[in-house]
Amino acid sequence: MELANLYQSINLIIPEIVLSIALIVLVIADLIFHTNKKIIPFIAGTGILVTAIFVINQFNYIGFAFSTATHTARSFGMLAVDSFGVFFKLIVIVSSFIIVLLSLASDEIQKTTDRIGEYYALIYGMILGMFFMITATDLILIYLSLELLSLSSYVLAGFTKLRDRNSEASLKYLLYGAVSSGLMLFGISLVYGLTGSTNLYIINTLIQNPHINLFTLSFATILIFAGIGYKISSAPFHFWTPDVYEGAPITITAFLSVASKAAGFALLIRFVKTVFVSYETNEGFWSLIEVFDWQSILVVISILTMTLGNFSALWQNNLKRMLAYSSIAHAGYMLLGLVVLSNQGLIAILIYFMIYLLMNLGAFLVVMLIANKINSEEIDDYNGLGFTSPLLSVSLAIFLISLTGLPPTAGFIGKLYLFIALVDAKMIAVAIIALLNSVVSLYYYVRVLKHMYLVKATASTPSIIPSTSNAILLLVLVVPVLIFGVYFQPLVEFAKDCIVILGI
Amino acid sequence: MLSIPIEYYLILSAFMFIVGVTGVLIRRNAIVVFMCIELMLNAANLSLVAFSSYHGNPVGQIFVFFVMTVAAAEATVGLAIIIAIFRNKLTVNVDEINIFKW
Amino acid sequence: MIGFPILSLITFLPVIGMIIILFLKKEQINNIKYLTLIITAFQVILSVVLLANYNYSAAGVYEEGSFQFIEKFRWIEITGISWLGTVKVDYFLGVDGLSMPMVLLTAIISFIATISSWNINYSAKGYFALFLLLDTGMMGVFVALDFFLFYIFWELMLLPMYFLIGIWGGPRKEYAAIKFFIYTLFGSIFILLVMIGLYFSATETLADGSKVFTFNLLQLMNPSNYNYDGILSPFNPNNLRLIAYIALFAGFAIKIPMFPFHTWLPDAHVEAPTPISVILAGVLLKMGTYGILRISYPIFPDITRDLMWWIAMFGMVNIIYGALVALAQKDFKKLIAYSSVSHMGYVLLGMASLTSVGINGAIFQMFNHGTITAMLFLIVGVIYDRSHTRGLNDFGGLASQMPVYTGFVTVAFFAAIGLPSMSGFISEALVFVGAFGVESIRVLTMLSTLGILLGAGYMLWTLQRIFFGPLNEKWASLTDLEFREYAMFIPLSIIIIFLGIYPSAMLDLMNTSVNTLVQFVNTGFNVSSLSGL
Repeated sequence: MELANLYQSINLIIPEIVLSIALIVLVIADLIFHTNKKIIPFIAGTGILVTAIFVINQFNYIGFAFSTATHTARSFGMLAVDSFGVFFKLIVIVSSFIIVLLSLASDEIQKTTDRIGEYYALIYGMILGMFFMITATDLILIYLSLELLSLSSYVLAGFTKLRDRNSEASLKYLLYGAVSSGLMLFGISLVYGLTGSTNLYIINTLIQNPHINLFTLSFATILIFAGIGYKISSAPFHFWTPDVYEGAPITITAFLSVASKAAGFALLIRFVKTVFVSYETNEGFWSLIEVFDWQSILVVISILTMTLGNFSALWQNNLKRMLAYSSIAHAGYMLLGLVVLSNQGLIAILIYFMIYLLMNLGAFLVVMLIANKINSEEIDDYNGLGFTSPLLSVSLAIFLISLTGLPPTAGFIGKLYLFIALVDAKMIAVAIIALLNSVVSLYYYVRVLKHMYLVKATASTPSIIPSTSNAILLLVLVVPVLIFGVYFQPLVEFAKDCIVILGI
Repeated sequence: MLSIPIEYYLILSAFMFIVGVTGVLIRRNAIVVFMCIELMLNAANLSLVAFSSYHGNPVGQIFVFFVMTVAAAEATVGLAIIIAIFRNKLTVNVDEINIFKW
Repeated sequence: MIGFPILSLITFLPVIGMIIILFLKKEQINNIKYLTLIITAFQVILSVVLLANYNYSAAGVYEEGSFQFIEKFRWIEITGISWLGTVKVDYFLGVDGLSMPMVLLTAIISFIATISSWNINYSAKGYFALFLLLDTGMMGVFVALDFFLFYIFWELMLLPMYFLIGIWGGPRKEYAAIKFFIYTLFGSIFILLVMIGLYFSATETLADGSKVFTFNLLQLMNPSNYNYDGILSPFNPNNLRLIAYIALFAGFAIKIPMFPFHTWLPDAHVEAPTPISVILAGVLLKMGTYGILRISYPIFPDITRDLMWWIAMFGMVNIIYGALVALAQKDFKKLIAYSSVSHMGYVLLGMASLTSVGINGAIFQMFNHGTITAMLFLIVGVIYDRSHTRGLNDFGGLASQMPVYTGFVTVAFFAAIGLPSMSGFISEALVFVGAFGVESIRVLTMLSTLGILLGAGYMLWTLQRIFFGPLNEKWASLTDLEFREYAMFIPLSIIIIFLGIYPSAMLDLMNTSVNTLVQFVNTGFNVSSLSGL
C-alpha cells in the first residue's frame, strides 16, 4: 500500500481518530483529576461535539479507506465513507451526546462518581465500535467492530453493580452476545471458504458465479444474520432485550435502544445492499442476486419481530421492560423498510431513525426522571402522576403517542413513509399486518396514559418537577416530535441526501 | 508431500462447532457455557485457517489472530462479570440467576 | 369574497384558545370557561359570516373552481429524487354544499356543548384545553380537501376524545374510552392504507406540466388522472378497487357507527360526560357519513353504483336493529345512544339511493340528527344532574314537577320521531321518497319504514314512563330548568322547529352540490367509456 493511499485513508477516518484521542484524554483526565471528577462528563461531552464536527465535514468526502490490493480482484477498502454512513454516525453521535446529558441527570449514575471515568471511557468504546460498524465493508472489520461495541456494552450493562439485576443483565447480555457472535464468526468463516475473500464487494462479484454452493451460502448468511439480528434485537435473537433493558442502568438502556440499534441497522443494510444486490433499477428498487432470497426471510423476520414485541409488551408492568418490547417492535417496523429492497424503503428507515431517536430517548428520559424521584419504574406507581407532574406526564404522553404513530406527531410520519414504501413495492398484505400491529401497540402505550391520567391523584402521589436543565432537555426532545409531525419536509430532504451507499 | 485434504479440517471444525452449540444449550454452569462459546470460536478459527491454506491467501490467518485477541478480551470481560454475579448471588448456575424470567 | 383566511381561522381558533388556556393558572376556572365560550361563540359568528357570503349556486364536489373560501398552498414539497419525482402535500381547505351544513353544525354544537360543560370543575383546565383541540379536529375534517390533511384532522380527534371520556366519564370510563380509541384507530388504519394506495394511483398535473402523485381529493376524483397500471386505477382489471372501497367504507362505518361496528357507541355514550355525548352524537358520528359522501362516493363512483344495495341493506339493518335494541333499554342514555344508531341508518339509506332527493335528505338528516340528538343528550344530562340516575323506570310524573323541561323534551322527542313541522320529519321523508323511487332498494325502504313505527314506540313509551303517571315522591324536590339550561335548549329548539317549517333554508344550501354529486356518482368513472383515454 503506497503512502498516498494511506494518507487518504487516514483522512477518511478522522472522526474515528478524534474519538480515539478523546478516549485517551478521558482516561488520562480520569487519572489526573481523581479527587474531583466533575470535569469528566464535560470532557466526554466536548469530545463528542468535536467528533460531530468532523463527522459533518465528512459529507464532502466519499471513498474507500485501506484498500487491500490482492491478486484476485480490484481493490476495495476495508471501510467505505459515504453519506449513508455519515447519517448513521450522526444518529450515533447525537444520541451519545444526549446520553451524556442523561447521565448527568441520572441519580443512578451520579451515585458512582468515583468510577465515572470508566463509564464514559466505555461509552466511547461503544461509539468507536459503532462508527466502524457503520462504515465497515470487510468481514474482519465487521467482526472486530461488533465485538468492540459488544464488549463495552456488556460491562456498561452491569456498570452500577448496586443491584442484583445489574449484574444479571450483564451476564445475560454477555452470554447471548457471545453465542451470537460465535455463530456469526462461523458464518463468516464459511463465506470466506466459499469465496476466498472477506471484502463485501469482492464477495458480491464472486457469488454471482453460478457454481457457488447455495446451501452453504444460505446457511452462512443465516449465521451472519444471527450476529446482526442480535444487535438490532430482531426475532428470534431478541430474548436478551427485555432482561438487559430492564436490568441495565437506564442511560445505557436508552443508548442501546437507539445507538446500538442504529449501528446494527446500518451494518445490516450495508451488508444486504453490497453483498446481495446486483444493480439498482430506475425506479430505485434493488435487484437481488438470485442466490439467496433475503426478501422472504426478512419479511418473516420483521413480521415476527413486531408481532412478538407488541404482544409481549401488552402484559408488562415495568415501564423499562415495556419500552424494551416496544423497541423490539420498532425494530420490526424498521426492517420493513429493508424488506422492500428499494431506495424508498431506505429513505423510510432513515426518517424513522431520526424520529425514533427523539421519541425513544425522550420516553426513557421521562421514565428516568420519574425513577429518580420515586425509585420505581412500575406502572402502578405512575397512578395520578398526570395531575401532579404535568410537564413530565404531557411529555411522556406525546412520546408514547408518537411511538404509537398517531398524527400529529412525528411518529406518524415515520410510519407513513414505511407504509408508502410498502405500498410502492406492492406488499399490501405486509402493510396490513404492520398496521394491525400498531393498533395492538396502541393498547399498551395508552395503558401508561391510563395510569397517569385516568386514575385520580391521591395525597401520596408525588409531585415531580424537573430541574430547569432537565426541563430544557425534555423540551428539546418534545418540540421536534410535534413540529416534525406537521412539517416533515426537512426530515425527508435530509434523508434523501443520505441514501448513497458506496457500491461497485 | 502427502497433504491432509481440506474436508478433514472442515469436519473437525464442524464437529467442534456442534459440540460448542450443544454445550451452550444444555449446560447450566455459566463458566462451562463460556468454555463452549470459546469452542465455537475455535471451530471458526480452524476453518478459517484451513480455508486460508486452501485458497492460498493469508486473509484467513490474519483474521484468526484478531479472533484470538477478541476471544481473550471476551473471556476477560466474561469472567469479570461472572465473578461480580458470584459475589451477589453465590452461584454461577444460570438457572438460579433468574430475577427476570429467562 | 372575504379578505382573510376564514376557514383557517374557524379551524385553528380553538387551538389558539387551547394554547392560551395552557398558560392560564389552574385556579382560574371561570376565565378558562369564559374563554372557551367566547371562542366557540366566535366560531358560530364566523360560520354565520360564511353562510352570509355563501354562493348558493356553486357546486363544488369535484370542481376546484366552484369550491368556496378556498385556501390552498404548498405545505410539503420535496424535489430532486429522480426515481421518485416530486412529493407534495397541499394545505387545501374549502367548502361546498356537502360540508357547509356540517361546518354550521359543528360550530353550533360546540357552542352548546361549552355551555353544557359549565359545571365541570374537576381539572377544568385540562378539560377545556382538550375540548378545544377536539373542536379543531372536527372542524378540520369538514373543511379539508386534501386527503392527507383530512386524515390528520381525523386522527387528531382520537386522543382528546379518549381523555375526555376517560377522565371525566362515568364508572366504566376506562373501558369505554379504550374501546372507542381502539375501534376508531382500527377503522382509520384502513383509511390510511387506501389513502396511500390512491396516492400511488393518480397523478396531478402541476402548472409547469410535470405530473406528481397527489393526495388532493379533487384530483383523485378525475379518472383521467389515474395511471393505467396504478394500484387503485379504474382501468386495472383486478378487484383491488372493490377491496379498497370496502376497507375505506369500513373505516368510515366504524365512526357512523354502522352495524356490526356499532358496539363502541353505547359504551362511549353512557360513560361520557353529557357535553361529550353531545359532541359525539352531534358531530363525530356525522364524520363517518360525511367521509363516505366526500371521499368514497366521488372517488369510487363505479364501485358505489355496484354496492348501493349493500349500503341500503346496512342502512335498513341499522334502522331496525337500533330501534329494536332501543326499545329494550332501561337506561335513558343508552336508549338515546341506540336511537342514534337507528337514525344514522336513515342517512345510510338516503345515501344509498343515489338520487338527489335521497342524498339531500341524508345530509339534512345528518344536520337534524346532530341537533336533535344533541338536545336529547342534554335532556338526559339535565335529569341526571338532578337525580343522579338514568333508569327509565325510576321516574314518573315529572311533567307536573318540571313543566318547562317537559315542554322541551316533547319538542325533541317529537322531532326524533319525525312529526310534521319538526325538522326530523322533512329529512326522513326526503330519505324515504328518494330511496323508494329506486327500484332495486324499494323492498329495503319499505322494511325501513318499520323503524319509524318502532321509533315512535320507544320514544312515546319513554315519555310516558318518565313524565306521565303519578309523581314518584322521591323526586318531589326536583327543580325546573335554570338560565344556563334555557340557553342550551332554546337555540336548538328554534333550529329544529324553524327547519321543520322552512327546510329550504338548509336544503338550498346543499342542493346544487348534491345534484352535482349525484350526477357524478351515476356517470363518473364509467370504465367502458373511459377506455378511450
